[in-house]
Amino acid sequence: MQEILFFVLAAVAVLSALGMLLNKNPVYSVLLLIVTLFSIAGLYVLLNASFIAAVHLIVYAGAIMVLFLFVIMLLDIRADVEHINLKRLSRILALLATFIFLGETFLIIWMSLKGKAAFVGLGEGILGDVPSVGELLFTKYLLPFEIASVLLLVAIVGAIILAKRKLRPEPPAA
Amino acid sequence: MNDYLWLIPFFPLLGFLINGLLGRNFSEKMVGIIGAGAIFLSFVTTLLTFKELLTLEPEHRIFIQKLYTWMATGNFSVDVAFRFDALSAVMTLVVTGVGFLIHVYSIGYMHGDRGFFRYFAFLNLFTFAMLLLVLGNNFLILFLGWEGVGLCSYLLIGFWYEKIDYANAGMKAFIVNRIGDFGFLLGMFLIFKHFGSLDFDQVFSNAAAVPPGVITAITLLLFVGATGKSAQIPLYVWLPDAMAGPTPVSALIHAATMVTAGVYMVSRASALYILSPLALSVVAVIGVATALFAATMAITSQDIKKVLAYSTISQLGYMFLAAGVGAFSAAIFHLMTHAFFKALLFLGAGSVMHALSNETNLMKMGGLRKHLPITFWTFLVGGLAISGIPGFSGFFSKDEILWKAFSSPFGSPVLWGVGAVAAGITAFYIFRMIYLAFYGESRVDPEVALHIHESPKVMTVPLMVLAVLSIIGGYVGIPHVYMGLEHFLEPVFEPASVAMAAGAAGHASASTEFTLMGISVVIALAGIYLAYQLYVMNPEKPRQLAQSMHGLYTLLFNKYYVDEIYQAVFVKPFVNLSNVFFWRFFDVKIIDGIVNGVARIFGNIAAGLRRMQTGIVQMYALSLMLGAIIIFGYFILR
Amino acid sequence: MNTAIGTIDWIPVAPFIALSVLGFLIMIIGLFFPRIYRETLGTITLVGLAVTFFLILQNWGEPRYAFANTIVGDKFSTVFNGLFVVGAALTILLSLNSQENRYLLYADYFTVIVFATAGMVLMSAGTHLLTIFLGLETLSIALYVLAGFRRENAFSLESAFKYFLLGAFASGFLLYGIALIYGATGSADIQEVTRWIQQNSLTGSLMLPIGFLLLFVGLGFKLAIFPFHMWAPDVYQGAPTPISAFMATGSKAAAFAALLRVALSTQSYTAIAWEQVLWVIAVATMTIGNIIALRQDNIKRMLAYSSIAHAGYILIGFIANNELGHSGMLFYLLSYTFMNIGAFGVISYLSTAEHEFVTLGDVRGLAYRRPFAAIAMAVFMFSLAGIPPTAGFISKFYIFSAAVKAGYVWLVILGVINSMISLYYYLGVVVQMFMSAVEEKAPATATQQPAVALALVVSMFAVLGLGIFPSRWLAVFMEMARSFI
Repeated sequence: MQEILFFVLAAVAVLSALGMLLNKNPVYSVLLLIVTLFSIAGLYVLLNASFIAAVHLIVYAGAIMVLFLFVIMLLDIRADVEHINLKRLSRILALLATFIFLGETFLIIWMSLKGKAAFVGLGEGILGDVPSVGELLFTKYLLPFEIASVLLLVAIVGAIILAKRKLRPEPPAA
Repeated sequence: MNDYLWLIPFFPLLGFLINGLLGRNFSEKMVGIIGAGAIFLSFVTTLLTFKELLTLEPEHRIFIQKLYTWMATGNFSVDVAFRFDALSAVMTLVVTGVGFLIHVYSIGYMHGDRGFFRYFAFLNLFTFAMLLLVLGNNFLILFLGWEGVGLCSYLLIGFWYEKIDYANAGMKAFIVNRIGDFGFLLGMFLIFKHFGSLDFDQVFSNAAAVPPGVITAITLLLFVGATGKSAQIPLYVWLPDAMAGPTPVSALIHAATMVTAGVYMVSRASALYILSPLALSVVAVIGVATALFAATMAITSQDIKKVLAYSTISQLGYMFLAAGVGAFSAAIFHLMTHAFFKALLFLGAGSVMHALSNETNLMKMGGLRKHLPITFWTFLVGGLAISGIPGFSGFFSKDEILWKAFSSPFGSPVLWGVGAVAAGITAFYIFRMIYLAFYGESRVDPEVALHIHESPKVMTVPLMVLAVLSIIGGYVGIPHVYMGLEHFLEPVFEPASVAMAAGAAGHASASTEFTLMGISVVIALAGIYLAYQLYVMNPEKPRQLAQSMHGLYTLLFNKYYVDEIYQAVFVKPFVNLSNVFFWRFFDVKIIDGIVNGVARIFGNIAAGLRRMQTGIVQMYALSLMLGAIIIFGYFILR
Repeated sequence: MNTAIGTIDWIPVAPFIALSVLGFLIMIIGLFFPRIYRETLGTITLVGLAVTFFLILQNWGEPRYAFANTIVGDKFSTVFNGLFVVGAALTILLSLNSQENRYLLYADYFTVIVFATAGMVLMSAGTHLLTIFLGLETLSIALYVLAGFRRENAFSLESAFKYFLLGAFASGFLLYGIALIYGATGSADIQEVTRWIQQNSLTGSLMLPIGFLLLFVGLGFKLAIFPFHMWAPDVYQGAPTPISAFMATGSKAAAFAALLRVALSTQSYTAIAWEQVLWVIAVATMTIGNIIALRQDNIKRMLAYSSIAHAGYILIGFIANNELGHSGMLFYLLSYTFMNIGAFGVISYLSTAEHEFVTLGDVRGLAYRRPFAAIAMAVFMFSLAGIPPTAGFISKFYIFSAAVKAGYVWLVILGVINSMISLYYYLGVVVQMFMSAVEEKAPATATQQPAVALALVVSMFAVLGLGIFPSRWLAVFMEMARSFI
């Protein structure tokens, strides 16, 4: 049962991601991205990471995607304008590079897991639920958790600086 | 132990700082006194130290003063330390003594120049670096001085010129010297690797324990460095160009001191060279080839300073010939006498130029004997000395070299023969120059001729002192005379002299020595006679000869086209690589594409952002990706 | 599971906390006093950095882990953090340029620099890959913003935008690497990973090595080594000059700190056997950087290519993988901080709001117009070129010695050839300054720049001091390198 679910979700994730890339209408792309995010959330659930799955849905599929849609609709980007302007050679190269990279990673993981049961460290159902995540976050990962707040602050400050329409009036010269 | 060793390089440094920082506000006289005085003080200090050195037993004649540890890690450490042994003593005396005279001369020569204080500051800085070079107690200090003198040399060459084209020409000197430094540095790293130290004593005393192949590699690499600094084949091309600087600079740097640094370095490392017969023969062959080759190029040059430049290259070749046959003390002996007579010749040439409003073309001189008597007589002494006429210093040292080239276990009659021929050519071109400049009809431009005058005392006195030195300088080298130089230097070259003595048995006799000496004197006299016939008796003859031997003349006149060959073989491809491939491809195609795009972006940032987004950045990302792929691929496949 | 975190050792995190507080403080001051003199703000920042420096020094000694082994205060972090703070302080001095940077939003600008430094501090002190990653991101985001600070300038915007896109891309690699390391060993804690490597044989498993390599790719982007270097010239050229200096020194040093921390702690050299790859990368990095720099007229761009080349030299110390090499890297980074900030500082010192003083034509004959600036520039160029007795020479000498000792003779040969090539363009600048006629229509230079002048004097003293008396510093770095064994 788990395996069937895994393959279904994985297939949906990959296909909808491809659809997002190839679709010329940005609104459809966003919607397909939401499908991808949903199926990945499903994979998290299969891995007993229910908390991550929930956060994933709320933050990405909920908040960020809505923001994307707003921006796209506000800017009124039409489908036919957005033609990617890469030279043919570069495009082929880029595609090739992506596939080789994917192939290599696949090969690496496959070779590493040959003859081994599963990833080390993924035990049964203790990692991904809310209490254990919370506990880890406030014990082992307390510092990274706090650093993340500084990181977000820098990002906000930076976004404001870059987005400000006008420069501030000049302070008195020294 | 002598605790005042550090004062020797310190005085010039102090002079540099004072003149460099405050000289702008000083009068010329003040600047000159500070500049020359600094060198004089270190000369006096050197003399005092030298005197103290002589009071010791020959095998203990060495002072080492450690100032502080420069860098130290684990068992490897390099000290800032000075070493005053017989070899350093000779070098230091030459550098400070001749250096002082040239400083004094410069006061007159540079009179009225707008960069007077800058000139003296750089000259003092140069002397400081040169003293570091000869006094350093390890290879790193030697290298420090080595780089320092190179740098000052560029500063002083460039001093004269304020044109962009010249800066480009100076770059030639620069590139050539980099090749030399490259060899030196690698040699030093190899020494560090195999000896674990750069200290002279430690390296030389452990030399026998290191495999011969390594020694050969080290010595050859060091010799590459020496060929760069001392202008030997194939790296000599920079020295004639360096003559563009002020003449006293040519005298000090490009004749008496800096260019001999390579000879000093090889002699200092004699304990290593003596272990590698291959390296020794390379040194000897390059030396003697340079001696001959450069001498032939001097024959056709019409520029008085260029003649002297080729002559310097040629004489340096003799020194390497001596070092290459294991006669290191002969090399140092010739280094010393050469410093005297070549500085004299250069300063004399400077005096001529001074009189003729900086004319350097020999074809526009002639008949100067009457107008510049002191210059003429001193110049003649220098010419006789370099030609190896008995009684003058050059005779003793050159003869010593030729004899060793013949008799040493590392020498051969062929080396002697080539050296002797080169000596003849030397006598010829030197006297060609003297006859062209001082004899015959005046060919001076009329308006210049009005101003011909003998140089002031401040210039002629150094000339006279050097002339005296050029005569008596040779007598310290005669064995059994009070403290022969060879004997004095013996402790430093002990491994070499042991090896020489081991191989020398029954190879030569006193009668052979005198025969050879006679032959070389005859050759030199023949050269002078030929020059006299061609340039005084039949002034039309040279032109006819040049026409009848047109091919050879052109070849010599164009200096064997070596510059052109280097340009085509080394410089062009490299410039093209940077220019066409990297520059055109990477920068013009890719980067400039963006820059041109920026102009449009300025008008329409939104459109521009999209262009960047869809164009170039993806190429960058692609390169990142491809890099990662190749690295991973390598790991998967291996 | 133990839920109590117990008593916390604050010393290891103190530098980070101090910097965060300082960042907030400046932001708030800027908010309440919008018309404050930026010199005042700069002074406050410098005082804050001095306090941080003091706190950093408290960490010198045996390793002190805190926060469940996610951060450590040890000799390594002390040395690197000290370097970062010094670099940040010099950058601030350069930013107090009275002319060129009139457009900067002062309080925000200082805030972001301080937060960037906080990110660096985490990269050297982090002993958990997550800490290192978060530090890197903090640093990166701050740098994206700083690069784009000249908002009226299209180059600056372009620079920020490119840096952002590529930086995000590179972060992806880094994160992937961390994931693979976690996947292979079950932990992202560096000590745990080390233990795992000691206990398990690595034969047949590629996941861990590839994880390290991905990590290397991500950091390699920040180091601007081949083939991850292409962003650097564009970004350095476009960014405000002090920020270019900051990126070329601080950010590079931070990435080396993270790389060294991971490599030294886990001894992943033996785990991945990647000498050949590093060898090729180092050589390509040096060569490409130096050869392209040969043809640059724009000094900022030339320094950008040269900074690529310098990353290559430093990598030689990494490849040598001995104490000499590791301490040499530190010494190199310290020297490089001073000489590179100094070189950019001279540009900042001379530039006016109207004219950025960056082409070779601009500096022609500078020695006759602005002797102090010319002498300073000459010192920095000599040092960058590795001419004794400057710090640059000792650095190169040290790194090359380490590589020779480790047997990489060919690498050293190529390194020496490269440093010979580099002399050409560094000295080209000096030649232009000293040996050329004064142009009549030379652009006006800025005057009255006490803060920048101070930075230049400090850097000059450091460059010469480190060159003439390097042993004390080398001893300190040697002790740091030994502390890992």
